[in-house]
Amino acid sequence: MAKKIAAYICTGCGIGEALDTAALVNVVTKEAKVPSCKESPFLCGRQGAAMIKNDVAAGELEAVVIGACSPRVNYDVFDFGPSTIVERVNLREQVVWTHPAGDEDTQALAEDYMRMGIARVRQTELPVPYQAENMVKSLSVVGGALARLTAAHEAALAGYQVVLVEKEPVLGGFAAAMYKSAPSRPPYTELEDTPVASLIEAVQTNDLIEVLTGTTVGRIEGGPCLYEATLLSDGRETTRRVGAIVLATGARPYDAGRLAHLGYGRCANVVTGNDVEEMALKGGIKRPADGKAVQNAVFVLCAGSRDPQHLPYCSSTCCVDSLKQALYLKEANPEANIYVIFKDVRTPGRYEEFYKKVQDAGVVFIKGEVKEVSEDASKNLTVEFSDLLMGQDASVEEVDLVVLATGMVPSTVDWAPQDGADAGESAPAVQLPLLNLAYRQGPELPALKYGFPDSHFICFPYETRRTGIYAAGCVRAPMDPVAAVEDGTGAALKAIQCVELTSRGAAVHPRTGDLSYPEFAMQRCTQCKRCTEECPFGAINEDEKANPLLNPTRCRRCGTCMGACPERIISFKNYSVPMIGNMIKAIEVPEEEEEKPRIVVFACENDAYPALDMAGLNRLGYNPWVRVIPVRCLGSINLVWVADSLSKGIDGILLLGCKHGDDYQCHFIKGSELAQTRLSKVSETLDRLQLESERVRMVQVSIMDYDKIPVILDEFAAKLTEIGPNPYKGF
Amino acid sequence: MADAGAPSKYDAGFAREVYGLENGSHVKKCMQCGMCAVSCATFQCMDHSPRRLFALIRAGRKEEVLRSNTPWMCTSCLMCKARCPRGIPIIDVMHDLKGLALREGKVPYPQAAIYGAYWKELAGRGKVFTAGMLRNYALKRGLGNLGKMMHLRDFGLRMFRHGRVPLMPPKAPKGKKQLMQMVKRAQELERKEAK
Repeated sequence: MAKKIAAYICTGCGIGEALDTAALVNVVTKEAKVPSCKESPFLCGRQGAAMIKNDVAAGELEAVVIGACSPRVNYDVFDFGPSTIVERVNLREQVVWTHPAGDEDTQALAEDYMRMGIARVRQTELPVPYQAENMVKSLSVVGGALARLTAAHEAALAGYQVVLVEKEPVLGGFAAAMYKSAPSRPPYTELEDTPVASLIEAVQTNDLIEVLTGTTVGRIEGGPCLYEATLLSDGRETTRRVGAIVLATGARPYDAGRLAHLGYGRCANVVTGNDVEEMALKGGIKRPADGKAVQNAVFVLCAGSRDPQHLPYCSSTCCVDSLKQALYLKEANPEANIYVIFKDVRTPGRYEEFYKKVQDAGVVFIKGEVKEVSEDASKNLTVEFSDLLMGQDASVEEVDLVVLATGMVPSTVDWAPQDGADAGESAPAVQLPLLNLAYRQGPELPALKYGFPDSHFICFPYETRRTGIYAAGCVRAPMDPVAAVEDGTGAALKAIQCVELTSRGAAVHPRTGDLSYPEFAMQRCTQCKRCTEECPFGAINEDEKANPLLNPTRCRRCGTCMGACPERIISFKNYSVPMIGNMIKAIEVPEEEEEKPRIVVFACENDAYPALDMAGLNRLGYNPWVRVIPVRCLGSINLVWVADSLSKGIDGILLLGCKHGDDYQCHFIKGSELAQTRLSKVSETLDRLQLESERVRMVQVSIMDYDKIPVILDEFAAKLTEIGPNPYKGF
Repeated sequence: MADAGAPSKYDAGFAREVYGLENGSHVKKCMQCGMCAVSCATFQCMDHSPRRLFALIRAGRKEEVLRSNTPWMCTSCLMCKARCPRGIPIIDVMHDLKGLALREGKVPYPQAAIYGAYWKELAGRGKVFTAGMLRNYALKRGLGNLGKMMHLRDFGLRMFRHGRVPLMPPKAPKGKKQLMQMVKRAQELERKEAK
């Protein structure tokens, strides 16, 4: 069905001087047969925008094509309501700012972009937001201590119903088992009471929070706003419908039983930091062997942490906790001799003040490695160690108490590395059942390393690979109480965003507000399972015949399923395989004799496309043979587009996307990695067709790599010149 | 620099003694970064760097600390104090350590003799008479040192020609009694600070 389309070309910002806009109008109206195409010297100004608005109102336009600046700017000016499709053609950043004015190639580039924009808008339909019955906005918070309580409390303060699920019979977790808290307020030197007690009271007295102690999660089905959670308590099952979930189950201390080399279990007076907290709570720190007072104590930091035989990572809080416990002893007995044997004292931020305070109290810090802990007949300990800063072996004798600062293990896994095996390399053992998700991709949150749920620690810390489930607190990463409180608040806000957006049928981060979602033409489905397997967010379940069953509220709209589908049955209302196919077909490919190759660049909208725009902002010129097509994620690139391009006579295809691997930057986690895998498969086919596989290349760029863009493009163009023109040209 | 020797035993007793000095408690604050050592102009002549000396104090190795030449090699140039990230007045600590070493009688160094010679002059006359100080020094160091002093005779003669080494002692200053009272008061304060 033909749409009512109008085109507008802005001649401001240098576009009018650099391009022959009359010819451009001609291309739009004569060649692409768009009934109306208007020029304006200042389209984003009041007059220009009013002109489009009037036309939309008068002509009942369904879609407008705007040839002006990048879609990344002025999006608010060019928003004409939910019923008008707007297609922005980037004539400014990616044409006139990056290519010489008045050049024949620049003109050809602008004309191709207009053609592509029109082809795109002809395929675009207005998305209809997904709505299901009985979508709820209540939140469920599972497990943990401080982060979880904070999340529940903050969400309730914002007016949301919260179900708090706690495995233990009482609230509080580890933070409640602490005698005092490290300083969090100026002057950052005084021990504080833990904030847990007051928080528990606030949570228990809040009407919006339903506290379920002694309860575990039996099963969670559905998706955001539609989660059906089965809760188990005392053998009874209840179900709750919740909108989003905050996982804050915290961490366990590392099993000190594995630290026999430091004397734990072997010597009676060797304890862990948690034992010290417990003793302090119960009225004083004494020698466990005989209950006598402690005069000499040694703290061993990094006990079983940053150690390839045990936990390979730093748990970030044990240093401060040990300082705190050293101070308990010093405050009880200022004459006590306390030694802290450390690898590094990690007291980030304001904790440095606290470190100074503990030093001032007279605690002796020794950089060293413990070699041997032994006890004599009266249970006094001798700690032998190599004193690294003195360059010799040393010892402390007549020690009453040795405290091991053990690290944290996320509650998602049972960490039991084999003796002798390098734990950093081998995946931590067994995943523990916490959420029991009824997802095709497995019952728990996928982890990247060491069992901490995968989240991007800089760009989107609380996001996990399951939409609507947010990890907070020590289950996400080891952290101190201050950070846990912040984390709980952050995750609660994320969960609120999620229920609000999802209940309107909109996507959450990173395509926030996108109303489209994938639709499956099921009659052509071959049950190949690629979409259900490859969706980075586990949004697609399967029925018993392996038919894909989409949970639209779980979907992030990356289009990875669309790229995966060999039958091309998956499409969005405003993003589909034929749409990009038509954009490719709209490119005018010059004859071979003209020696003007064409390169299609599929650029990831998240980083690569902004990088191209940044290149424009910095007036970095680049190759005029490229035709950039923005894609939601490289994962959404269907290989048929490669075939389309090559059969059209395009000489080369370049994929610009985010970094993948362990420290990935892909906003959809797996998209760029999948694209790379798929490309490696297509190169075989190309070789078989007598087409050089070098014609298709993928390059990883980040938004900061804009200065490298011209080099990347020129190098690729040079390579193509070397290979020679596409033999399919002109067919 | 002392090499790795026999295993040492940590003992907090000596550290307590040092913490009891006027500026001794600053030693607690040291975090062993080594900025003082790399800033020190005379570090090459020291048997322990200032950082290492502080570590020895905390390890309780009294003999090594008091026999160390480190405080005596310190020229009080203030570079370490200016650069110390923990703000430790390292030269003040060095002065205290010198005082402690003198009290314990563990100083074979000529610098200690100079200090004594200087103090004797000042306390006796209320002013420093260079020739008198040289005499005090020579007496303190004994005959064996005279040969060394003879090496400096050309230098001494030039100083003499410039009028830098007067032959006659200067006149006693006015208010010597009050000066001595001030010194006494300062010494009292020092003991008080140390508490």
